[in-house]
Amino acid sequence: MPLPFLDDFRDRSQVRALLGELNARLEGGPVRRVMEVCGTHTMAISRQGIRQALPPELKLISGPGCPVCVTSNADIDRFIEISLLPGVIAATFGDMLRVPGTRMGLSQARGRGAQVRIVYSTLDAVELARKNPESEVVFFGVGFETTAPTVAAALVEARAADLTNFHVLSVHKVVPPALEALCAAPKLAVDAFLCPGHVSAIIGPEAYLPVAEKHNMPCVIAGFEPVDILQSLIMIVDQLNGDRSVVETQYNRVVQPGGNPAARAIMESVFDPCDAEWRGLGVIPSSGLSIKREFSGHDAGEKFDIDVSYSREPKGCICGSILTGVKIPTDCALFGAACNPGHPVGPCMVSSEGTCAAYYQYEI
Amino acid sequence: MCLAVPAKIVEIEGQLVTVEVGGLTRQASIVLLPDASLGDYVLIHAGFAISRIDEKEALETLHLFEQLGNGDYGSISGPQD
Repeated sequence: MPLPFLDDFRDRSQVRALLGELNARLEGGPVRRVMEVCGTHTMAISRQGIRQALPPELKLISGPGCPVCVTSNADIDRFIEISLLPGVIAATFGDMLRVPGTRMGLSQARGRGAQVRIVYSTLDAVELARKNPESEVVFFGVGFETTAPTVAAALVEARAADLTNFHVLSVHKVVPPALEALCAAPKLAVDAFLCPGHVSAIIGPEAYLPVAEKHNMPCVIAGFEPVDILQSLIMIVDQLNGDRSVVETQYNRVVQPGGNPAARAIMESVFDPCDAEWRGLGVIPSSGLSIKREFSGHDAGEKFDIDVSYSREPKGCICGSILTGVKIPTDCALFGAACNPGHPVGPCMVSSEGTCAAYYQYEI
Repeated sequence: MCLAVPAKIVEIEGQLVTVEVGGLTRQASIVLLPDASLGDYVLIHAGFAISRIDEKEALETLHLFEQLGNGDYGSISGPQD
């Protein structure tokens, strides 16, 4: 059953009117650079042709909001090495399958005999553990605050069912510390953040207060339809024109003050904050989620001691600079040539939320 | 990966619900949204309902600029003590 009001958020006359509003606010003024933090926004913006429809005074820059893309090669290599161990079933969301590691990707590991299973839900991975008691099921915990609670729920269920053969390699990341790190980066030329809708549904708008208040960056939490995105951009431009930097929510139909308390509670009961390495951003303090001691029996990072000192970034790939908004895909010598969806060199070309994949599919 | 699809809850059985998405039904968990009820529109992410979709708020958002138009869209300020 479709949402009764969804068409209204895609209405062409509304979109035209909002573009007119944006134009009126920006015409003759300075160029404003807004980072869309979330990969789902990047894909929506590319698919809807919004980047090209905007007035020349407004530039949308893609940020580090694709979880697969910001996962470091060392973490990817670690999971691939685990998948190759005898007796292991490696469970992952589909996005990770074709991401190249240093020596190989998961799909190549599969060709070498690794048992790799794509799951739709973390509970499917728990089910795998239940049905395969002789195997060690290892789930690759990749994702932001939207996904981490679903992994926490799986760990709680596995512990309750005493499934000692269920493990998670957690490389989860949280968004606000990354935005603060971006604000502190000398190369960042961004005036405001279009903040993720579904991450914010979990953490709530308050989580961005340090970004808005300490770093004077306007933050607007946006939905994913064209009307959502354009309304949010108007709200951002109004903040910039009024010299204000506050947190506003356009996506009020989904994002509540305080976020989702049940999801936050389960996440906090399973994970502790830890330092984490982001592709392109380096190590950011308290930006990752490690599995708490109470759940350490399910922590694949503790169970499997893997040496990935050989890990390195793909040669010539500029995913790191693209993820921080310093460069765009068309700046990359590999883009569309040596690196394409059929033969991706870096993760941003693989993921359905990757900036390079979005540009390749919709913007060239 | 933060993709979430809107769906309507058509059946509830404990922490498992049946939701309807684009004419198809599938199972989802409401362990992250324990107070979800029958008939609610929710967002499903990787098999879990993560948020309710508030129709009243949606309609208000659509009329945001007609109603306000004064640049005040209900920002939040610092933490209240």
